[in-house]
Amino acid sequence: MFQWLSKYFASPSELFEAGVLGMNSRNFKVIAAYNKRRLYPLVDDKAQTKELAQKFGINTPRLIGKIEFQHEAANVIKIVRGWSSFVIKPAHGSGGKGVLVIKSHEGKKFITPSGRILTYREIYQHISNTLSGLYSLGGQYDTALIEEMVNFSHIFDNYSFQGVPDVRIIVYRGYPIMAMTRLATAASGGRANLHQGAVGVGLDIKTGKTLKAVMRNKPITHHPDTGADLSKIEVPYWREHLTIGAKAYEMTGLGYLGADIVLDAEKGPMMLELNARPGLAVQIANGLGLRKLLKRVDKYYPKRLSPEERVDFILNGKK
Amino acid sequence: MSAILYRIKRFFTIRAILGILLLLSVVYAGYRIYYKERYWGFSFGPQARTNIWTIEANVTYEADGTPVTISLAKPRSSDEYKILDEDIVAPGYNSSMKDGRLVLTSEGRDGQQNVYYRILLFDNTSGKGKIEAPVPPAPEKPIYGEQEEAIAKELLMLAKKQQGDLPQQLIRMFNQVPPEPTLVAFMPAKRSPRMIAENISQLLAYKGVPSRLAWGIKLVEDRTSFSPDLMLEAYIGGRWKLYDLTSGQVGLPKDFIIIQRGGSSLLDLSGGSNSSVKFSVLKSVTSSFNLAGKRAKLSNEQKAFENSIYNLPVAQQNAIKWLMIFPLAILVIAFIRNVIGLSTMGTFTPMLVALALVKTGLIPGLVCFTLIITLGLLIRALFSKLNLLLVPRISAVVICVILIIQYMTIFGYRFETDIGTAATYFPIIITAWIIERASITWEEEGPFNSCREIVFSLIAALATYAIICNDTIRYIMFAFNELNIVILFIVMLLGTYTGYRLTELKRFRPLVK
Repeated sequence: MFQWLSKYFASPSELFEAGVLGMNSRNFKVIAAYNKRRLYPLVDDKAQTKELAQKFGINTPRLIGKIEFQHEAANVIKIVRGWSSFVIKPAHGSGGKGVLVIKSHEGKKFITPSGRILTYREIYQHISNTLSGLYSLGGQYDTALIEEMVNFSHIFDNYSFQGVPDVRIIVYRGYPIMAMTRLATAASGGRANLHQGAVGVGLDIKTGKTLKAVMRNKPITHHPDTGADLSKIEVPYWREHLTIGAKAYEMTGLGYLGADIVLDAEKGPMMLELNARPGLAVQIANGLGLRKLLKRVDKYYPKRLSPEERVDFILNGKK
Repeated sequence: MSAILYRIKRFFTIRAILGILLLLSVVYAGYRIYYKERYWGFSFGPQARTNIWTIEANVTYEADGTPVTISLAKPRSSDEYKILDEDIVAPGYNSSMKDGRLVLTSEGRDGQQNVYYRILLFDNTSGKGKIEAPVPPAPEKPIYGEQEEAIAKELLMLAKKQQGDLPQQLIRMFNQVPPEPTLVAFMPAKRSPRMIAENISQLLAYKGVPSRLAWGIKLVEDRTSFSPDLMLEAYIGGRWKLYDLTSGQVGLPKDFIIIQRGGSSLLDLSGGSNSSVKFSVLKSVTSSFNLAGKRAKLSNEQKAFENSIYNLPVAQQNAIKWLMIFPLAILVIAFIRNVIGLSTMGTFTPMLVALALVKTGLIPGLVCFTLIITLGLLIRALFSKLNLLLVPRISAVVICVILIIQYMTIFGYRFETDIGTAATYFPIIITAWIIERASITWEEEGPFNSCREIVFSLIAALATYAIICNDTIRYIMFAFNELNIVILFIVMLLGTYTGYRLTELKRFRPLVK
């Protein structure tokens, strides 16, 4: 009876021993303590995040234009003139909802990376939906951002079924402490959410190399659709990735945040968005608990270092 | 110094403060429960019933034309019974109260006369109230002749052979079969209870024990036209004790009410003859809750009662009664979300569904709700092809839900099924949002996740329903509404819970080697 139970359930003390951070604990002891509510708009509104990022010298996809009101929706043609590719996304979106990528366009025909052809009417409708809050948190009125398309580096090409994976770095009090990348699968419907069946690959915070790969809570070695060897992942420009995360702390003032970073073939790592309430799945992908790690940062990691110094501390410091 | 401050600061963490407040609220609620139970007669079950006894005294006499004065003994409130209402049927008489007796006066009358006096009593087993028992003066010694005194002394001696205290000994001796020869000499063989009582009373007075006669009525359902029973009360050991004149048993019999104490008779009448008083008893039953106001008045707690929710008009009371169950339902939801860790659609949606289920009944409600949601999802699937904007789209869903509810209600009425009529109880906007959310989850995260969320929400709704469908629990939350303050602090303490959620024990299982 109890053996059967322990096959599927851990006891609270076992989880505590393993250093797992639970949702209640995250909300009460970490987010409530280190993330001031008034700072949330800085990351919830991607237009603000972008502006701030530029001030702090963090690479992000360039903003081509903004559409705030329904009557401006028709301006989209004017805005994207001179840009062959672009991305339309909601300023308050989350989890990739409402992101529309246009690889090229000609007159009133817009072509997506998968080759689908959209009419001007459909683009207009998409922007209109975005403005009315279809993709925003809580359904409030939103702004549509039109930004430069990332020219994704090809190193991840085989690792994901549709889409391009990003790297999620968890930053606690300015220190990048845990990282993972999420790979879409056929089972996850091309989405990068672990609970939907995407593959989570924990990345060694010192090297950017694979630590562990899991899918639906079970360890795996190869991508179920592409067959790529997951143990071979090594994210290039790792230091730059960590630096973006570390700088995001100064930039937002959030003590606990998740930075989503993509790799551009020419411009290197670029910050896509920040999250003030990053999920806990990163623990499963890494096979490591966050609780002990956070404690160690509180106790032993030096305070008042610059972002670069913190990154050095992470890369060189003894674990 | 700073060490002490530090300790004080550590002691007064949010959790400790909330813990103390919770404790205080429990104490307060405990006191209020005691208070309401004792002074207002609240009980822990909605089904608690109280007996109401209607005692009717029928006075008859032959009037002789001279002015009439009737003085009738009447029951007083006692520990066990409280007077609910009185009513006199005596046309043409002036009524007043004097020394706890009913006094009726009238001009001279002729012929057979009938006067009725009705009194409503209710069982007050838990009520407050004491009979005053001032120390009575020492009784006057009876004046016996020389021979009588000798017999009395002998009787008192003989009585010692019997068991019990002095009045009991005497009563038993008087009832002994065959009687003591001395007793036969003392009084005639044919003895009325009144004679026995008076003789015993005299003997007690001879020994310096105060005593008095008492008339009472045994409360038995539908008893008509009977005379009250006579009993003896003696002041022994600092209080009045009641004795049965045949068995000598001490104490007030069950369902017995004293209507007259002391020497004066039950009925005194001038202005007529052949007077008699006969009693009838009728029993009826009412909800204890309805008597709370009367009880409060009787225990001098009327002001507090008037300022309570129980003094509101019934319609408002029912609305409050409905509200009083919300905190408990909220507690269940908070527990399900933060301790168990089920993710549901919207925070309080399952609670609102559960509340609707209470009104519709479980099975009809569930079937009806499933039908509404299924139909709604089908319609919503059509909408999603139209790419409508958010607000108009959800508005359209709301209207569709209203139409579905309308047709289901008509269907329910025509085919006389609860399933159809249950439809009107579901909150329309909430239902529309459930459809909207389910549809969006369906499109974005697939049918599996969508169905899972619906199932989890239903589980949460059913768990909430299981607790609040209980009549007794609903009644207790209303009758002892201070419990809601306790719930408030429990919920706040839950807000400081940082332990793992039940679902996390499964989710993070892979992290344990």
